[in-house]
Parts: sequence; C-alpha cells; structure tokens
Amino acid sequence: MRIRLGKELFEDRWFTAGFVLAVFFAALTLFGPLLAPYDPWNMSFEPISAPTVEHLLGINDGGQDIFSELLYAIRNTVVFGMISGFVALGLGVFIGLTAGWFGGLVDIILMRLADVLLAIPAIMILILTAALFRPKPVVLALILAGFMWPTISKTIRAQTLSIREGLHIRAAKQMGGSDWHVIHRHLMPELFPLYLIGFAAKCRMAMFMEASLAFLGLFDPSRKSIGMMISYAMKYYYLDIWWNWLLPPIACLSLLIMTVTFLAISLEKVLDPRLKNTLKERAI
Amino acid sequence: MIDRITHSAPRWLGMVIAFGLTALVMIYLSYLLPRLLPGDFVTSMYSSSQVTLTAEQETELRAYYTEEPGFYRYLARLAGLDWGYSYAFLTPVSTLFFSALPWTLLLLGTAHIVSMFIGFVVGVETAWRRNSRLEKGMVSFMTILEGVPEISTGVILLVLFALHLEWFPAAGANTAYAELSSCAWLIDIGHHLVLPLATLVIAYFPGNFLLARNSMVTVIKQAYITTARAKGLPARRVRYAHGARNALLPLVTRFGLRLAFMITGALVVERIFSYPGLGTLLFNAIKARDLPVIQSVALISSLMVLAIILGLEIIYRIIDPRVEYAH
Repeated sequence: MRIRLGKELFEDRWFTAGFVLAVFFAALTLFGPLLAPYDPWNMSFEPISAPTVEHLLGINDGGQDIFSELLYAIRNTVVFGMISGFVALGLGVFIGLTAGWFGGLVDIILMRLADVLLAIPAIMILILTAALFRPKPVVLALILAGFMWPTISKTIRAQTLSIREGLHIRAAKQMGGSDWHVIHRHLMPELFPLYLIGFAAKCRMAMFMEASLAFLGLFDPSRKSIGMMISYAMKYYYLDIWWNWLLPPIACLSLLIMTVTFLAISLEKVLDPRLKNTLKERAI
Repeated sequence: MIDRITHSAPRWLGMVIAFGLTALVMIYLSYLLPRLLPGDFVTSMYSSSQVTLTAEQETELRAYYTEEPGFYRYLARLAGLDWGYSYAFLTPVSTLFFSALPWTLLLLGTAHIVSMFIGFVVGVETAWRRNSRLEKGMVSFMTILEGVPEISTGVILLVLFALHLEWFPAAGANTAYAELSSCAWLIDIGHHLVLPLATLVIAYFPGNFLLARNSMVTVIKQAYITTARAKGLPARRVRYAHGARNALLPLVTRFGLRLAFMITGALVVERIFSYPGLGTLLFNAIKARDLPVIQSVALISSLMVLAIILGLEIIYRIIDPRVEYAH
C-alpha cells in the first residue's frame, strides 16, 4: 500500500516539484556549513562590495560574505519550521486521538481549548515573549507549536470518531484489545495520511512565522536568518544592491514556502479519497 | 429563529465562558510576565548615572517603583484605557494605539473584503469551466502564488513600483503636512494604500480562490444543479443563485480565523511600506525596547481578535446550524 501511495503521489507534478525542492533545501540544511566558503560572522571584508568570483553574492554592510550568510540563514529557518511542525504534529495527534477516542468531558474540554487557542493570534504572544525574555529560538518554536496543534487535532478527532465505529475496531476490542493497543495498532497507522498533511501545513506556517519575526527584529541579531537579511538589505535599497543582496534571500524564502505549499496542497489532493467523509462534510 | 437561538444557547454559553476565561488568563499573564523580569528600574536608572543616592533615598525610590498595583487595579486601569506611558514617545500608550488602529483596520479590512470577493467570483467562474485550459492554468498559477509570502511580494512591489517606476509613494499613509481638500485627501490616501493593499490581496487571494473553487466543484456535482439547468434557467442564475450560495459557506466560516492570521501579514507589510498602523508602531517599539507599548499592543489586539472571533462564531451558529455539526 505504501508503494502505491508513493507512486500516486509522484504522478502529481506539484508533489514532484515540491519533493525536488525539498531535497535541495534538505541538502542545503545538512551541508550548509560545509558549502559556505567563509565564516558568516567574519567581518573582515570590504563592506558593500559587488559580487566577485571569491564572494558569489558580494559583501554586506557589516563586511560579511552574503552567500555564506544565506546558507546559514536557510538552515535556521528550516530547522525552526521542522521543530515547530513536529511538536505541533505530536501534540495534535495525541490530543485529537484522546478527544476522539474517549469522548465525553475530556473531548469537550480539549476541543474548547482548541477553539480558544485558534482565536489567539500566536504572533502577538511570540512577540511579547521574545521582547520580554529574549528566549532561544527553540523556545519560540515550541511556543508556536503550542498554538498550532488545534487544527491538526480537530481533523484527527473527526477521523477518529468515524473510524471508531468501524468493524475492525469493534472486532479488535471484542478480542480483548486494550485502549492503548487499539489506538496504537489500528487507529494511528490508519490516520497516517493526515499526519503528512498536517505536518506540511504547520511547517509552512512556522517557517513563515520565523521569517516574519526575524524581519521584525525579534531574534538575536547574531543569529543568521532570511527575514533579518531582507530587513538589513532594505536599509540600503537606494544603492544598487537589490539584485545581489535583497533578491537572493527573497527568492530563497519564496522557494522555501513554495516547497512546503506544493507538498501540502498535493498531499491533501492525492490522499483526499481516503478522507472523503470528513472533507465532504466540511466542504458542504 | 427564536427556537434556534434558545436551542443553541448552552453551546454559546460554553463559548462565552471559555473565551472570557482565556481573556482573563491573557490579561493576568501580561500583568505577571513583566514582573518576572530580572532587574529593576531604579538600578538601571541610577547605577550608571552621575547621581549617587543615599541608602534612604534608594529604599524610598525602590519602594515607589516596585509598588504593586494589584491585579484588580491593573484590570480597572486596562478597562479605563490607562495603559501607561511609552518610554520612547513619552505619550500615553492608548493615544498611540488609537491613532494607529484606524490605518490597520482600513488596510486589513479592505484587503480582506477585496481578496475574498475576487477570490470567490474567480473561483466560482473557474470551477464552472472545469477541465478547461483556463481552469488548469489558473489553479497552477494560484498554487504558485500561494507559495510566495508577503515579505517577498511586498519588497518586490516596493522596489519595482515605488523606487524604480516611482508610480506610488514608498512610505506613509498620506502626504505629510499637505493641506488638501477632502476629495484630494481621499485620493491621496488611496494612492498611498495601493501598494500595501496589493501586497495583502496577492497574499490572500490565492487561498480564497482555491477554497471557493474546491467547494464549488463539489457543489456543481449535486443533483439540484442539474435540475436547475434542466429547467432551462440562465447559466449565471444557476451559478450564483443556486450553486455559489452553497459554496460560500466554507469561505465565510474561515473569515474569522483568517482575520486572526492576517495580523501577522499586516505587521510585516506595514513595516515594509512604513504604513502608520499597529504593525509599524509595534516594530518601532520593538526597536526601542519600549515595553509598555509592545505589551499593550500585543495584549489589546489579541483581545480584539478574540472578541471578533467569538462574535462571528455566535453569528454563524444562528445563521447556519450546520456549522455546529461541522465542528
């Protein structure tokens, strides 16, 4: 079944495009520091100079190599998005399964909590925390995950509710399977497509949020990030630097967001038939 | 109708209580968090200044500045719009907030309505021409556009149209110190609004388009559409009076949630175009580490979003009971 799923996915050109881009960015993330020709904090070069063979994208106002900076920045954004996405997925699956499986008061309380969290603009909480305590980026990623799980857990819960009454689940319970056994062996694998969709969507949101926060200047200024590079480059827009300093981070950010968007959209489209019930209900 | 309201009253009440509690928790955190910070004002003010305090003065000052207003006093001051003074601007925070708010509302509200309207109409029209070349092209184009964040769109529009072509102003919401008649003033404001508005519309239009198209595609397959067409009704009437009406609901349901997330985009876009709304205020406050402003803007705007979403949730439940089951 897995193999068929993979084949089906690669027939969608959006998925193929997203996958190729994802591999590219994964390589940059993993090997970025090896590929970077210079230390991005090395400020010993001639400030604001045009690209040369040694400095592919030129030098910024602080005398740092822009290409090396960009490699480190991509790495930071990707890692932030991954951490936030993974934690949000974990929380969402756990809470969604708990609410859907046990129902009753647990369900009501958890879903009310989800409603409320959805109504709080996470960016404001992040700005407040960042401004007051200047925490490490990981802490901000975790806080963001704390605001992103509700949409995942709502879909997981809805799907759990419809699967729960299925014959195979009833049979497993009849044979004496414990709650944990049934959830672990039957429910969780069956919901697998939902994890992929949820993870891609949340990764996208987290990367976007990281870029926005960095652009607003809420991270440690020595931490390289795409948003911060754009923000600094914009200060010198009147010089002729837009093509070597402003454009590369913008292009990278757009490609990065595109990667996750393509994956999210095509996953939702291809895996849709398995989730028809819930999605139909939502669409009408 | 009345029957419906009374029927769903318990659900409402639950929502109102949950949202009310959340608001209280948020206010309490905003009261508590700054008090958890290390260091105090007296030390930071006098430790490095020329003035040397005697021990007695120091204890008195310290007592003055660390005087606890208590949570109830804090709450009362919050309700009375007394949100403290900005360190950087030396004006009451509420003055700053209410001078910035109209611009954000103008920008966000217009962007929201425009992107939703265009997204809806184009989505419905495209879904109607399903499997045509136009439809495939539009869906591909919108999928790509969905992947371009507003930071990128904003910066590109700014560099292209404001700096190179000089068609639109690069900053502000109106021409400073210009004495204009009311008509010219409106044109001036519109002229300044074009670029930030376009950025936000480009960012939100694809999402609305894809959603409207997808739900319209499901609606078109329904039997009653075939019936309506078989009756010989004009195509436009079938499309809008019969089909699109039902495709509208998911879009409307997302209205509130989208609003909450749009604040993120607005902050960035306002900063790019130096538009004098809450985003720019917040950005300047962050740059100056102006804590009272950051704290108030974050808290008050979150509370506003919370209130708006609560209001919308209640309205949806009255308009369409199906929303209740869809959740």
